[in-house]
Amino acid sequence: MSGIIAIIKKELARFFFDRRMLVTTLIMPGLLIYVVYTLMGTLISDIAGGDARYSAAVKNMPEVLTAYFSGSPFDISDASESDDAYKTRIVEGSLDIFVLFPEDFEDAVASAGEPGYEAPNVEIYYSSSSDDSAAAFAAFSAVLDLYEKAISNVFNVNHGDGYDLGTPQSSAAYILSAIVPMIMLVLLFSGCMAVAPESIAGEKERGTLATMLVTPVKRSHIAIGKIVSLSCIALLSGICSFIGLILSLPNLMKGVFNGIDLSMFGLGHYMMMLGVMLSTVLLLIAAISCVSAMAKSVKEATTYVGPLSVVVVVVGLLSSLLGRGVSQWLCLIPVYNSAITMTGIMSLSVTPLGFILTIVSNVVYAGLLVFLLTRMFKSEKIMFDK
Amino acid sequence: MQEILKVCDLKKQFRLSYRQQKLQRTNDRMLTAVDGLSFTANRGEIFGLLGPNGAGKTTTLRMLATLIAPDSGDAYIDGCSVVKQPDKVRSKIGFLTGELRLEDFFTPNYLFDFFSELYGVPSDVRDGRKNALFSRFGIDKFAEVKLANLSTGMKQKVSLVISVVNDPEFIIFDEPTNGLDVLTAKTVTDFLLELKAQGKTIILSTHIFSLVEKICDRVGIIINGRLVALDTVAEITKEKGLEDVFFDIYARVAGGEA
Ligand SMILES: Nc1ncnc2c1ncn2[C@@H]1O[C@H](COP(=O)(O)OP(=O)(O)O)[C@@H](O)[C@H]1O
Ligand SMILES: [Mg+2]
Repeated sequence: MSGIIAIIKKELARFFFDRRMLVTTLIMPGLLIYVVYTLMGTLISDIAGGDARYSAAVKNMPEVLTAYFSGSPFDISDASESDDAYKTRIVEGSLDIFVLFPEDFEDAVASAGEPGYEAPNVEIYYSSSSDDSAAAFAAFSAVLDLYEKAISNVFNVNHGDGYDLGTPQSSAAYILSAIVPMIMLVLLFSGCMAVAPESIAGEKERGTLATMLVTPVKRSHIAIGKIVSLSCIALLSGICSFIGLILSLPNLMKGVFNGIDLSMFGLGHYMMMLGVMLSTVLLLIAAISCVSAMAKSVKEATTYVGPLSVVVVVVGLLSSLLGRGVSQWLCLIPVYNSAITMTGIMSLSVTPLGFILTIVSNVVYAGLLVFLLTRMFKSEKIMFDK
Repeated sequence: MQEILKVCDLKKQFRLSYRQQKLQRTNDRMLTAVDGLSFTANRGEIFGLLGPNGAGKTTTLRMLATLIAPDSGDAYIDGCSVVKQPDKVRSKIGFLTGELRLEDFFTPNYLFDFFSELYGVPSDVRDGRKNALFSRFGIDKFAEVKLANLSTGMKQKVSLVISVVNDPEFIIFDEPTNGLDVLTAKTVTDFLLELKAQGKTIILSTHIFSLVEKICDRVGIIINGRLVALDTVAEITKEKGLEDVFFDIYARVAGGEA
């Protein structure tokens, strides 16, 4: 027992007194996520946020349409000069669109459906070589389409408000459940990658593991001590990333849904997330440690773990696509279980059975891998082969 | 004279990979590194295993240190079998080779405490030992300096000190002076003689004749994994120098094989 504690203390000391390691694995990932997502959110809201306004010169603006343009991004001016003057301005870029309604537009439209009816033509001049002009054209046409639909009303779909039964909170949960598990899996994995190969293959490569193997400390205690301490570090790194992610999400989403409301998550949800993260990290650390023990150097270990990282990313992606409403027994599949349980927690639909299956199975798998790692520490072929 | 080490018919073969086969220009799948080695060492002596490169010295010492297991045979250190009681053997011995390294990141002080804990040394005993050894080797001034920032010689001294944190009765040194500068090498041999004066037993391997002549009480000459001579250094070097004796034996053994 004292051997386990000594090894845990040593591993933690190795990490916490190394400022570079501390910054790169604990602080940087969370901070980076926060900064990058906040920037992305700002960019998205700039693009989609429609602060842009378009200038439109309109001739013979029908009275009925003014209501449709209230609140639209158009600065509409009455066109009194010659048509060509406006066209020149569009080409020059000082005007976005020039719209010509027929003089008898309203009367003509009123007789729609009568025999011999000829639909009036609205002319919109624009320039496809200008983004603003093209966008203004699209927006103006959309408003006219709306009007056309309204006057030729045959039937309505969802006329009026009150059909969207989703609360802002549950749609937030839906979005979170699609994003968070995938990102968290990748982040947890990279946290584990930052510490495990270095601690196992690195120590083997440098000959410091052999020094420990000469002492009477049990091989199983070395394995347990390593995995417990590395898991603590990776979990801390995961928590930091999670905090960065959660804090940045409102910023990321602000352009899309006018922000996101996290108030539906209580302490229980966060504790469950922590539980899933812990069990996942235990499993990943144990798996990466076993692979690293096979390798002769950190570099080799990183190469061996490569395919595992692909699996983790793919499973993360799959779970956010296929993770809903699946059988709870799938919670026995490592990595996938973490992804769907995190999806469940974030979408407020996690079941106790699924949660417990995930935690317990991950811990059991990790235990088996600790056993395997112990066997590897005992194997002279793996530890001392040239 | 009390026997502390008894080696009985130790055998060790290595399976060669294809690459190793080509490297050693052989078609044999198996390489016999240690071929039925038997000898004993007495308490309080320095026993030397002398042999050329590839003779099987390191392999033998690793089996004694329980890092690798013999294919057959056994060895008993202070009555404990390296095959059946490896944990017990490990707690009784100190083992030092160039391949065992210490983590550069830590200080001598931290490492001494860490390894003491792995050996289960109580902290008051540990502190006394640490003070004595650190001042003996002049490490005390550097006790809180990371190994990475120490000179090579000082690092060697730290390794030496760490290998005896458990105050072992039986100490195994593989090529103790290999790759050391003359000053550090002298520090090491002086320390070995000190340990012997304290009544400890030391088994070392080397290919350096002068080292054996200088500090060993008894010597076993090992060639191709077999013990070809075993006696006190005084007896073996009665008529001519150790180097001449060795080459006589080598010519006989290698000649007989050819
Ligand atoms: N892990 C191993 N795999 C294959 N061959 C080995 C291994 N370890 C040692 N050998 C071979 O066994 C022989 C004895 O090696 P060693 O004990 O290191 O000799 P020495 O220490 O006397 O120089 C050498 O031929 C060496 O190549
Ligand atoms: Mg050797």
